Amino acid sequence: MTERDDIEARLARLSGATDALRPSAGFSSRVMLAIERENAPSFFETTWFSARRLLPVAAIAAAMAVVWAVQVDGTVDDEMATSYAAMELE
Amino acid sequence: MGNQADAEDVVQEAYVKAYRSLTSGEFDRRSSTNTWLYRIVVNGAIDAKRSRKRRGEASDEQVDLGWDGAAFAEARMALSELDDWLRALPTDQRAALVLQSMEGLNNTEIAKIMGVSEGAVEQRLVRARATLRQKREQS
Repeated sequence: MTERDDIEARLARLSGATDALRPSAGFSSRVMLAIERENAPSFFETTWFSARRLLPVAAIAAAMAVVWAVQVDGTVDDEMATSYAAMELE
Repeated sequence: MGNQADAEDVVQEAYVKAYRSLTSGEFDRRSSTNTWLYRIVVNGAIDAKRSRKRRGEASDEQVDLGWDGAAFAEARMALSELDDWLRALPTDQRAALVLQSMEGLNNTEIAKIMGVSEGAVEQRLVRARATLRQKREQS
C-alpha cells in the first residue's frame, strides 16, 4: 500500500465511521428559532415604521403651529402699534 | 470543527445567512444551490476556527461522548480521531481535504466553494497530504 493509499484509506474509514453522526436533539428547532428571530423587526425598524405612521400627524401639527405663531405675531404687532400710537398722542 | 456543538453552531449560522441571502435577493444563482450552501458552511467553519485560534481557545480537546447509543459513540470517537489527525493542517488545507475525501467533491467544485482556482485547491491538497505523511513519519 502506497503512502497516498494509506492516507486515503484512513480518510475513507473515518468518513464511513462518522456517517452515523446526526444533529443533536432540538437542533432543527434551534435553527428555526434563529431564523424567526431574523424576521423579528429590530428596535430601529420598529421606531422607524412607527415614526413614519406619525409623520402626517406631525406635519399637520407643525402647520397649525406656524399658523398660530403668525397669528400671535400679528396680534403682538397690532398691540405694539397701538401702544406706540398712544405714546405719540401723549 | 472538531466537536459537534461547534459544528452545529456553524451550521445554524449558515442557515441564517442563507435565509438572509435568499430573502434579500443576494443569492444571484450563478452557482448551484449546493455549491452556494457548501460555501457558506465552509467559510463559516474557517472563520470560526480562525477566531477560536486567535482567542487561544482549544475547545477541540473535549468530545462529549454522551449516552446515545454505541454507533453514535463510535462515530464521535471517529470524529475525535479525525480531528486529532487533521489538527496539524492549516484550516484551508484541512477544508479542501475534507471536501474531497469525505464529501466526495471534485477539485472544480471545491475551487468554487472556497473561491480559489483549481490550481490552488490542488496545491492545498498536495501540501495537506505531505504534512500528514510527515506527521506519520515523525510518530
